[in-house]
Amino acid sequence: MVESSSFMRRRGWVPLALLLWIALYAICHPLSEWIAFGLFRLTPKSHLGESVAFFLYDGPKVLLLLTLVVFVVTFLQSFISPTRVRDTLSKRRAGLGNALASLFGVITPFCSCSAIPLFIGFLRAGVPLGVTFSFLVAAPMINEVALGLLFAMFGWKIALLYAGTGLVIAFSSGLVLGQLGMERHLEPWVQDVLKLSPTGELEEERPSLDQRLDQATQGVRDIVGKVWPYILGGIAVGALIHGYVPQAFMAGLLGRSTWYSVPLAVLVGVPLYSNAAGVLPIVEALLGKGAALGSTLAFMMAVIGLSLPEVVILRKVMRPRLIATFVGIVALGILLVGYIFNAIL
Amino acid sequence: MLIEVFGSGCAKCETLTQNAKKAVELSGGDHAVVKINDFAAIAARGILGTPALAIDGKLRFQGKVASADEILSMLKA
Repeated sequence: MVESSSFMRRRGWVPLALLLWIALYAICHPLSEWIAFGLFRLTPKSHLGESVAFFLYDGPKVLLLLTLVVFVVTFLQSFISPTRVRDTLSKRRAGLGNALASLFGVITPFCSCSAIPLFIGFLRAGVPLGVTFSFLVAAPMINEVALGLLFAMFGWKIALLYAGTGLVIAFSSGLVLGQLGMERHLEPWVQDVLKLSPTGELEEERPSLDQRLDQATQGVRDIVGKVWPYILGGIAVGALIHGYVPQAFMAGLLGRSTWYSVPLAVLVGVPLYSNAAGVLPIVEALLGKGAALGSTLAFMMAVIGLSLPEVVILRKVMRPRLIATFVGIVALGILLVGYIFNAIL
Repeated sequence: MLIEVFGSGCAKCETLTQNAKKAVELSGGDHAVVKINDFAAIAARGILGTPALAIDGKLRFQGKVASADEILSMLKA
């Protein structure tokens, strides 16, 4: 009975916020032009004028789209608990299991700090090792921030392309790892925990609609609150490129005709650790300067999907050989994606 | 009541522990806050996301940080 009136207010707030969002989105473009060319009296078609107008339009637009995507996804995520995903995946055969695990990896809320309890929890419930790996690859690589930002900055085609190829990598690397039978390369304490019978498990409660809406609002506050400076910084760089830098600047180093551009992108990307918000401004700058799409996607996947801190965390549960195999197979998948897109696009 | 906070020493887990202690203070009741750091122990309880919080053995949420007020209302319920 925690004040039902405040719950009502929360629910009524959603349509109001949506109307406000639509209004803001609609005035974004005319307002940016009015400020740049009317208020600041910059000349349209000039370097400075185009840069400023681009920033004033793109900044609010990307933040608005990201807010909407994060709200919707976080709300949907409240229906999918890791526990239910685990139960759905338990005892699934390879193939279908890997496909389901990759898809669930995209929509399940995931933080790399939870990787270990999740990993052990899945294995204990009888989720095969390869299927668990499919989940572990998809979850960090394809998330709401990455998709929201790709959609906002580059459009739905590139967002879908990224999601689709990420799913293929998660599916196939899990499938391959599952065939290798590497269960004995788990750390001994993990093998001990896996032998324990699943007693003493905690029961989980289902959240109410208001709690779900609260969760979504909190998600927007957490995520958008954390990433907006990176995004504005990235768009500022993008705006300068838009107005000043000649195209084809990166074409030599990361262009599609350079054979080593994809391995270079992956080699640089894997040790780097950043979230999607940190890497997308770089991606935008790379693309703007003439880098090939395949190399750029490979770079983004390597940065978000594989990272040194993640390897350090996973080392607690896996022996070096299993980790090396895991990183090797995923990196190989990313390489292939990079080459394929450079070849066909 | 027994409040268990599960987490492996990340910043979010620390915040949740502080919020739980604050909630106990606000409630004025005689509740204990216990922090569980060990991965094996966390995994043995079937937890899939940290930080997580259980009250009297019942998991209330996992993979998020609840505010002191939220935990307080769970203690009263």
